[in-house]
Amino acid sequence: MTLVESIDTARNALEMRGITKIYTVADDVVVALDHVDLTVASDEIVALVGPSGSGKTTLCSIAGGLLSPTDGSVVVAGKEISDYSGRQLTEFRRDSVGFVFQTVNLIPFLTARENLLVVDEIGRRLGRVARDRADQLLEELGLADRAANLPAQLSGGQKQRVAIGRALMNDPSLVLFDEPTSALDSNLGDQVVHLIRNEMKARGTAAIIVTHDDRITHYADRTVHIEDGRIAK
Amino acid sequence: MFLALHEMSRARVRFGMLIGAVGLLVFLILTQQAIEGGLITGFVGALRQQSAPVLVYSVDGQRTLQGSVINPGLEAKIRGVNGVAQAGWIGQSTFTVRVGGATESDAALIGYQHPGLGDPSRLSAGRRPVGPAEAVGSAADFAIGSKVRIVASGPAAPTAPVFTVVGLAKDAQIQVTPTLFVPWAGYEAAVKAANPDATIVLPSVIAVRPVPGVADTELVDRINAASADADALTRAQAASDTPGVAQVQQSFQLIFLLYGLVVPLVTGLFFLIITFQKAAALTLLRAIGARSSALVRSLLIQVVLVVGGGIVIGIALFAPLTLVSLGAITIRFDPGAVLFWSVGLLVLGVASALVAARRVLAIDPLEATTGGGGL
Ligand SMILES: Nc1ncnc2c1ncn2[C@@H]1O[C@H](COP(=O)(O)OP(=O)(O)OP(=O)(O)O)[C@@H](O)[C@H]1O
Ligand SMILES: [Mg+2]
Repeated sequence: MTLVESIDTARNALEMRGITKIYTVADDVVVALDHVDLTVASDEIVALVGPSGSGKTTLCSIAGGLLSPTDGSVVVAGKEISDYSGRQLTEFRRDSVGFVFQTVNLIPFLTARENLLVVDEIGRRLGRVARDRADQLLEELGLADRAANLPAQLSGGQKQRVAIGRALMNDPSLVLFDEPTSALDSNLGDQVVHLIRNEMKARGTAAIIVTHDDRITHYADRTVHIEDGRIAK
Repeated sequence: MFLALHEMSRARVRFGMLIGAVGLLVFLILTQQAIEGGLITGFVGALRQQSAPVLVYSVDGQRTLQGSVINPGLEAKIRGVNGVAQAGWIGQSTFTVRVGGATESDAALIGYQHPGLGDPSRLSAGRRPVGPAEAVGSAADFAIGSKVRIVASGPAAPTAPVFTVVGLAKDAQIQVTPTLFVPWAGYEAAVKAANPDATIVLPSVIAVRPVPGVADTELVDRINAASADADALTRAQAASDTPGVAQVQQSFQLIFLLYGLVVPLVTGLFFLIITFQKAAALTLLRAIGARSSALVRSLLIQVVLVVGGGIVIGIALFAPLTLVSLGAITIRFDPGAVLFWSVGLLVLGVASALVAARRVLAIDPLEATTGGGGL
């Protein structure tokens, strides 16, 4: 790697090269990702669009260190993670990426504010600084008056906003949103994606937003289409 | 700590009920333990409290004071054993008595020939007898100054002895009966008053003290070797080998074994169930970078808090009980037993959570992406 290349690498939030993921279940072989190349710049928002089963979640899982690829290299914020051990991946997820998952995103027995603070609790343990950050995020997300509510006492849109706050708590280099609006009506979904864009741009954080919904893509800087595990050119 | 405490504070009823259940079980364990102790003390406390280090029964006596009789021939053999420093008579019989002006009741008399060989080792109040009509009584049954009259019928009645209680000894009953320790002459008088036909009063057992340098167990072996009719036992053996004691202990041990299974079963199942119930949350935590060791630690903190809380409640319920007496049985607060059970139940509780801990370790964080979070 030359100096110029490494500076280039550091500038990108994500670089995937030749990523292949093959699932083997019994005798069935599923090629979920087939030689995927994807680069996301350090402050870029990429919409990842594709039909069900096309490999969107698999791609995010590999980018976020939840899953190791069968083949290829993944560099997140300058770190090559494809050979990481389980423990290294846990630390990587804790410190470098933010997740908003398709379904379960909040700990039911923690309030909105505690759902943000738990990130600090399992991670850097900054205490005061983390509490200020959580309060600031809740304020930005319009949840200041809901901070003490449990998830069961929040609406769908509010829950999703808490999840966004949680994903930003560790000041990640890359945030992965897996269908963040699928449970919301289109109006609310629009608001949430708007909020995501504002938060990302305000921080200069890169994001991948997975969606079925083409209307959402105009909030992204770029749209990437995926089908049968391949990125459409 | 953060996760463990927040979860508990959000599920107060659930955890409170578990802590209460563990507390009740601890209370039952401590109470049963104390009843066992009280029962056995009531049966053989006098044997433990008496001062002779070695007691020699006749083999026919089946290791009971009432059943054992030592004839002069056997006594001579015992006294002749090498290593015997001092030997003396101990007799025991149960009499109908009248304490003060009260109605008739039963009392056991233990007569000893020599002070220091069969009288109580320690007094909890008062002094030792100086004359044949003075007695040390079991503290639970007598008061200093009590007059205890042996009830006799026929011509002996007017001369039946009256004992004055001058000292008290704790935990000094035999056969769960009010017990008096009296000098031999007083004992002999009581036996003759109750049974006018008795001409000579034979001892029930011979109390023996070894010469310095000979261990109690060594002397026991020598005496048993010297005569096939002698059944020598150390003080502790005499108590534990009394018929019935071992059976009582076995029954209670079975009960304790059951508790030892029930407590960890209750806590183990509880934590396994809540681990299943919050599987999705645990999966999410793993996905956002929580170490599995941190999640297991949080689980163990909860186990320790639950069992610890249960122990505190159990002790709090048990302690006042030790201030009252349950009929003839005295319930004692035994710090050693409380400590033993506290540590034992904590260890069992933590061990019981290992199944739940294994489930936590088996969580695959990838399942957060599918919302499965099933374990
Ligand atoms: N753990 C797994 N074991 C076996 N096959 C899997 C596994 N996870 C995903 N797959 C398969 O890999 C392919 C891609 O799945 P993926 O979840 O990435 O799709 P997706 O684009 O996220 O779909 P959706 O829009 O429905 O969420 C699918 O064919 C799926 O059945
Ligand atoms: Mg998906």
